[in-house]
Amino acid sequence: MIKPTQAIKAFVENQVAFVIIGGMALRGHGSSYLTQDLDVCYSRERANLKKLAAALAPFNPRPRGFPANLLFVWDEQTLQNGANFTLETSIGDIDLLAEVSGVGIFSNVFDESVTISLYGFEVKVLSIEGLLKAKRAAGRTKDLLVLPELEALREILAESNE
Amino acid sequence: MEKLSEKRLEKIGKLIRNPRPGSKVAAAKEFGIDLTLLARNLRLTPEERINETLQAIEDVEFFSNEMRKSLKNKND
Repeated sequence: MIKPTQAIKAFVENQVAFVIIGGMALRGHGSSYLTQDLDVCYSRERANLKKLAAALAPFNPRPRGFPANLLFVWDEQTLQNGANFTLETSIGDIDLLAEVSGVGIFSNVFDESVTISLYGFEVKVLSIEGLLKAKRAAGRTKDLLVLPELEALREILAESNE
Repeated sequence: MEKLSEKRLEKIGKLIRNPRPGSKVAAAKEFGIDLTLLARNLRLTPEERINETLQAIEDVEFFSNEMRKSLKNKND
């Protein structure tokens, strides 16, 4: 199971440019959705890839389902060669996405994010509006099933704030 | 983003208990979403909400392991 405290601490301490998206973001906003992994969108800038590689290195990241007997090198170059990574680590499953469908690349995701306080850190989390765009664009059944609750949540928060 | 005020939570309670016809809240209720869970989650901070997720997953894993053990014992 994911240990978000350690993951977030590692990202923040290494000054990684990231935004929490997916199930943890949904949950953070109040949804009842359950998730076992941490999904983040990250900046593809070269300097950020270096920070991201350093942040996760202590947790031995490997692609999920990758044969145990095959060598996998986790470094800046590996990140440079890919865009999306579904990783298993010693602190749980972490998905790294360079882009979020319906929202865009990191800078767009960052602009659609809100700041919340998590485990003593100020962390960027995709907004409800951003999550709605992402879920609609992803269009899979599991994404579409989240929409009624998320739309209700947006309405509740807007109307209770009037 | 800290805890919502009691006044706001009260408003949220009313919106959930008596959804306006045609609203997204009414649609979610109709869809089968348990909005009382939403109301409950909104009483927590984002960090507390995430911690509860982790606890819930741990509980589900424990429950499913116990189920598996029990079924195995029955079948042995």
